[in-house]
Amino acid sequence: MALPLTSETKLLADERVVDACIADMRIADVRIADEHLHQVLLGNEFLVFDGAMGTEMQKRGLALPGVVPDLLNITDPRAITEIHAAYVAAGAEVITTNTFGANSLKLEGRASVDEVYAAAVRCAKDAKARYVAGDIGPSGALLEPMGTLSFEDAYELFAEQVRAADKAGCDLILIETLADLREAKAALLAAQENTDLPIFVTMTFGEDGRTFLGTPPEVAAEVLSSLGAHAVGINCSLGPDELLPLAQSMAHRARCPLMVQPNAGMPRMENDQTLYDVTPEQFALSMEAMIALGASIVGSCCGSSPDFTRALRAVVDAAKSPKPRDFKPALVLASAQQALIMPTESSHIAVIGERINPTGKPRLQAALRSGNFDYLVGEAVAQVEAGADVLDVNVGLPELDEAATLTQAVDKLAATITAPLVFDSSDPDALVAAVRSYGGKPLINSVNAKRESLEAVLPLVKRYGCAVLGLTLDEDGIPPTAEGRLRAAERIVDAAERMGIAREDIVIDCLVMAAATNQDEAREILRAVTLVKEHLGVRTALGVSNISFGLPQRSLMNATFLAAAFGAGLDLPILNPLSARYRDVVAAYKVLCGQDVGSLAYIDAYATAPDPYAQKPTDQKDTQTSQVQVAQKATAFELPFPLTLALEDVSDEVTSMTYQILSGQKGSMAASTEVLLESKDALDVVNGIFIPALDEAGRRFDTGEFFLPQLMASAEAVKVGFDVVRERMASTSDVSMPSSQHTIAVATVKGDIHDIGKNIAKMLLENYGYNVVDLGRDVAPEDVVAAVQDQKITLVGLSALMTTTVKAMEQTVKLLHEKVPATRVIVSGAVLTPDYASKIGADYYAKDAAETARIAEQFFAS
Amino acid sequence: MAQLVRPEALTLDRQEALGYVGYSGQVMSEDLLQRFEQLASACETTLEPVGVWDVFARAESETCAQSSGFDKQARSADQAQSYPGVQLVDGPWLAGADIANHLTGAKEVVLMACTLGAKSEHELRKYMALGSVDGVLYGACASALVESLANAVETSVVDFAAARGLRTNFRYSPGYGDMPLAVQPQFLRALNATTRIGLNVTPDNFLLPTKSVTAVIGLFDADAPVPGARTQCSVCQLRHHCELRKKGTFCHGFAANK
Repeated sequence: MALPLTSETKLLADERVVDACIADMRIADVRIADEHLHQVLLGNEFLVFDGAMGTEMQKRGLALPGVVPDLLNITDPRAITEIHAAYVAAGAEVITTNTFGANSLKLEGRASVDEVYAAAVRCAKDAKARYVAGDIGPSGALLEPMGTLSFEDAYELFAEQVRAADKAGCDLILIETLADLREAKAALLAAQENTDLPIFVTMTFGEDGRTFLGTPPEVAAEVLSSLGAHAVGINCSLGPDELLPLAQSMAHRARCPLMVQPNAGMPRMENDQTLYDVTPEQFALSMEAMIALGASIVGSCCGSSPDFTRALRAVVDAAKSPKPRDFKPALVLASAQQALIMPTESSHIAVIGERINPTGKPRLQAALRSGNFDYLVGEAVAQVEAGADVLDVNVGLPELDEAATLTQAVDKLAATITAPLVFDSSDPDALVAAVRSYGGKPLINSVNAKRESLEAVLPLVKRYGCAVLGLTLDEDGIPPTAEGRLRAAERIVDAAERMGIAREDIVIDCLVMAAATNQDEAREILRAVTLVKEHLGVRTALGVSNISFGLPQRSLMNATFLAAAFGAGLDLPILNPLSARYRDVVAAYKVLCGQDVGSLAYIDAYATAPDPYAQKPTDQKDTQTSQVQVAQKATAFELPFPLTLALEDVSDEVTSMTYQILSGQKGSMAASTEVLLESKDALDVVNGIFIPALDEAGRRFDTGEFFLPQLMASAEAVKVGFDVVRERMASTSDVSMPSSQHTIAVATVKGDIHDIGKNIAKMLLENYGYNVVDLGRDVAPEDVVAAVQDQKITLVGLSALMTTTVKAMEQTVKLLHEKVPATRVIVSGAVLTPDYASKIGADYYAKDAAETARIAEQFFAS
Repeated sequence: MAQLVRPEALTLDRQEALGYVGYSGQVMSEDLLQRFEQLASACETTLEPVGVWDVFARAESETCAQSSGFDKQARSADQAQSYPGVQLVDGPWLAGADIANHLTGAKEVVLMACTLGAKSEHELRKYMALGSVDGVLYGACASALVESLANAVETSVVDFAAARGLRTNFRYSPGYGDMPLAVQPQFLRALNATTRIGLNVTPDNFLLPTKSVTAVIGLFDADAPVPGARTQCSVCQLRHHCELRKKGTFCHGFAANK
């Protein structure tokens, strides 16, 4: 079937029209004060903001120690109005309310949020401001995982401010000086969901060009403008010259007007005054360059004064209208720290790692069921190290609450790895739950051409500023021909664009069928990839390994198909990056498509690598060698505890395994446990080897023969063995381990975030086979009690590192003894002594994790 | 303006790292040793250590700053006795008898701050998730690396002092002796450390990223007596019931700087 070819010029013209439509959609339903502000939001006119408030307060002697600046709106409105009026007189169109710290957390009840915003807006209006921006600064607390403020709590703090600003009569909301992209996202969502005013968001960057939490400007611009901010940009940070390259990075990625409010240079202290080194004239000159790269909403920040505003006003008036931003269309997937940028014009490829998917993976299934998200991190790290650029995250298991599981998985991964993520779920509710608090821009996997799917998925893609993966299947299934798949793809792209999703945010997966069953389709799939790219100009993805179902030597088939698909125009293969064959094809193709400039990476990886066809595989031999080495070492090793009767006939194996445990070698533990379980009862292995070996490790730790990591490595090795035993027991379900019936709760007390001691204790207890309920860190006494009551727990371990939090420990012990008198409490922590432990009413004092395990053993034995 | 220090190819002291997790000469298996070495080199190659320092004059009259801002309040002689410390010009009030002692006779005072950067937090969480042994060993390596970084920053201060014919004494950190952590916000502000090196402080006055160091160094005339030999245990408030000291090891490194 012949298709009319779209000419390039036509395509470009179409894109411009679509871009304009999308810009219009961004401000549809927004309450805009007047036509000038409307034009500002479209990027057609300039908007001049005011400058420093703190510096002006200092000059007027208002910034006295102990004074909360936000309260001056109420206590000294005349002074604040005076500062605002000076900026209005200097030519500022927008006055920013003096409410930088006006959230309920920072105000601490000294005034209500409503009161402060009402007074602040009054000051701004009394100064005859043309527009009033309701100012919202950072929450003042750190979000999880670094701090303890949850995303939802941050959202609530900001939402209260937004409602107050709206009620007080602001014309727009300004969220500024944020360093945490997740926090900025919480504020932006709170604003979008609590007002229909325009919302501007700016972040602050350090000298290394990142926020102090590691977000580069291009990621901030991409994530916040995709989410629907009406302007994004930079404030505070550095002087205007230092900010130029950062603003340029933002201009490439901002889908809305660019806002810049630099400091008046770098600060220095002199005679107890903070001075800045840039003059208003120099500032204005630098801002000309800023305007040249496309900044259209401008102002100044710390160290500036109305003189800066006056100079800036003159620059803006001379420039007349904003310059176009050098926006570079690209598919961008981002975590809060790192972006994968695939420019529309380039031929670069990127690998999506597929391994975080429980289908056919019993260990991953078990990890998800038990809430062991650490296991996912292991899978993620291995894939990134093997070259994955982006990771697919699928945690769908029928019996799990997918929304909660996906959110937890994403939180855990975002806290530990920086690769961008693909959220893979067919449940829109799960996608929304996970995407809200993710500090980046994910790819949503997936939508398809069925009306039901388009209607369910595309709105959330648009709402949360994601990219989307579209599958070429419709109500009639997967079209067998390339043209059929193209039509399905067209339907997806049309629907997405009507929704306001930019074309560069769309990836199409032409769906791979098995060559064994649909041999004719293999070529159709490749042709479909080419057609989709040519006609729709979108990126393409394929789940490569489907091609080889039912055939031998699957990796050979997969790799060959992958090479062919690259040739056809595949951009984003979804594959297992741990497969060496895939990696070889990817590395080779990156030379062919020009991505590996000068073939440097290829030469580096392959110049000295052996040709896999030139020699026999050596894996088998290596394993044997290492086992021999272990055995050799183990021969000099004597079993440090008596052999039990049940294991008498396998004394060599017992000795060898004990040696593995005490030397902390987890690598061969699974295999040796399996071998023993073939002839021996699980309980005999646990009680005859695992427990006495762990006890021996604990004894050696006590005597100083072992240091902490050795004890822990022994415990890790035992854990590997325990996992095998558990799997076996789960499959036979004839008997359960005695210790797994015992549950211990552990927590780091309220106010304390130092949980390493608790984590080590948890690990050790788990490796003794106990069921450990980890309540986390900074846990309130009532939460400990609730969990203990809920799960009928009789033993609790509490940890505290700081002298200041021992008080909270005492309160927790007291409350536990009051509410659940039968439950016993172990306390531990660097600043505790046995005397002090008994003074605060604890039942046991443990000086370290090994002692905690011993106490638990005695407690449950009695 | 404050000096920025970005040491290249910084290495960490393996013995010191092991010392942080209680190593005192135990025989380690090949396996564990290899894991440790991998983590140590990951630590050295993936992070971006950076530091900043600046010189501050001592205020002529001893004054006590309010807890917020550098605004000062003159104090009576009585108060000066009951609240010992050192006031810096355009810098924080360094509270405590120990720091006052440390800076006795110092002509000028250097404040320094250094950090392994935002990525270190991610990496610490990553290795802890990959397994407690990796997590604990990596944490120890990062602690040793930040110590190397602090040494490098200190070297830059010593070189600067030597060029001006001055001597230095050992670096003294908030939290040592009776010098409170509450000084951290002002300390960082004086160096503009958040903007310059991405170093921040939590509401509880802990540094963030956690693998960071702030310290005070005195600058002395070449012929002036320099107080305080480098004995970190001697100023530690936990020295009397410290488990590590009993075992003959030290929290600041294996068999070093007793």
